[in-house]
Amino acid sequence: MKFCVCIKQVPDVQASVQTGRMVLNAYDASAVEEALVVNEGTDDVVDLVLIGPSSATETIRKALAMGASNATHIVVESLGGLDSHAIAHILADHFASHEYDAILTGKQSQDSDSGLAGSMLAELLGIPFATNAVGLKAEGEDLVVTRQGDSGQEIVALKTPCLVTCSNDMNNPRIPSLKGIMGAKRKQIPNKEAASVSALTDVSKSFSPPGREAGVKWEGEAEELVSQLVSKLQNEAGVL
Amino acid sequence: MNSILVYLSVHDARIKRSSLEALSRAREVGKASGMAVEAAILHSAAAEMASVAHAHGASKVFCMANPIFDSHLNAPLIAGLSKVIKMSSPRAVVMASTEGVKDVLGALAIRTDAAVLPDVASFYVTSDEVTCERPVMAAKLLASTTSTHPLVFISVRSGSYEVSEGETVGTVEEVAFDFDEATLGATLREIVQTTGDTVDLSEANVVVAAGRGVRDESGKALVDELASITGAAIGASRAVVETGLFPATAQIGQTGKVVSPELYFAVGISGAIQHVAGMNNSRVIVAINKDADAPIFDVATYGLVGDCFKILPVLNAELRKIIS
Repeated sequence: MKFCVCIKQVPDVQASVQTGRMVLNAYDASAVEEALVVNEGTDDVVDLVLIGPSSATETIRKALAMGASNATHIVVESLGGLDSHAIAHILADHFASHEYDAILTGKQSQDSDSGLAGSMLAELLGIPFATNAVGLKAEGEDLVVTRQGDSGQEIVALKTPCLVTCSNDMNNPRIPSLKGIMGAKRKQIPNKEAASVSALTDVSKSFSPPGREAGVKWEGEAEELVSQLVSKLQNEAGVL
Repeated sequence: MNSILVYLSVHDARIKRSSLEALSRAREVGKASGMAVEAAILHSAAAEMASVAHAHGASKVFCMANPIFDSHLNAPLIAGLSKVIKMSSPRAVVMASTEGVKDVLGALAIRTDAAVLPDVASFYVTSDEVTCERPVMAAKLLASTTSTHPLVFISVRSGSYEVSEGETVGTVEEVAFDFDEATLGATLREIVQTTGDTVDLSEANVVVAAGRGVRDESGKALVDELASITGAAIGASRAVVETGLFPATAQIGQTGKVVSPELYFAVGISGAIQHVAGMNNSRVIVAINKDADAPIFDVATYGLVGDCFKILPVLNAELRKIIS
């Protein structure tokens, strides 16, 4: 199946102190991995597209090193003013001249957690889609998606061309091999300008939420700990 | 233009609590801003649930009854909601941020030319603008976000608001829905229900969540016992979902569900930021962990430093006495 995976470079939110380190969005890494697995043993391509600053080239090379075929870099130096709506329109413009059997995206990006761009893109392209996928399988002309719903997993067969947003629960993305890294270094990554779009929402400020205060912490024998806890739950918290 | 429409999600032929939270908040906002509040129910038994929507503040309830909505496919829901939104012509559409809603939100916004404020912790609506605060960067930051677009969608994290009743006298409008299945582009093959989920995790009053410290089946049995004694839903950290000890529907955190129960037991959970993002609005947090420096203790109301295999048997016995 001919895949294109939309990837994003995001700050490393796992770092307890903001280091400014930028990484490949974890959900997108799972999407790249899954496309590679589905296409294993075939000659079908897994292409990439990224919207982001020039410095995001390193993230594209990382995904190429995993085994992706070719990448397009839509250069936008600051993503600050672009919301999901704007991103989806830029991507839709890209896909107007590039045809694929299936477009994959991460189910959300780790920094903004909006989870909208994928399904917005599908609607703009007029193709069927599924979100929050934990499994993918090619079956003739169909892509069979296992998605995590509210109370169980739903298995949906999508007619191609289609779009799927991927959870990081679907696989563990491979660590690129040395050969992959060397190969990725030599690949040309064509740059492209973004289509002119507008955002419909605006972030006026970001701030640290009022933190939870740490409560009490006890050490000791199990009996002692439990008796202290039960007394507090009954008399102080009033939850028993 | 001068109303708020609330889409009510249904599970097991009942309106979800998180949807009633969203409706309760919409009623308060509508009262303050002088806007009518309407609701939409898309389900084969929609009409039977209309009175619940009235009781929580909806003056008009759009009922679209069609069995296709019970199929979990996104295309019919997007088509149905688009039709109701055109009829209601609201300033804002409010919904609970469930997986079902997340599945349709983006496409629905494009189809109806709406702006979206997704997964918010708080919101306010006036005729000029819609404002919200939403967690970003794994809930390390809150972002104040605004839209002045004429139509704005808001999806609300569960537990952000309390459910409350109003005194609304309401009407019901039945809306016909014909869906051309030829345009579907997708077929539902199967729904694999997770067995043993007796309490809905995202709506539970008590949650017992297990992490790496729970290790194996014998640890899981202790967790199950604590949950059964306290009537809790069972949650899990990503680590024990990956090992297969707990189902993916139990996962709490940035990737999984957001919960905000009265009482949360974190058993053998270290408290990685991605997990904490899904549970730090719980009222009382009890943490049990061997490692006294585990970050979970930074958010715990009561922290017990010790081995959960030693503590849980004692705790279960003690709670069984009190609760029975």
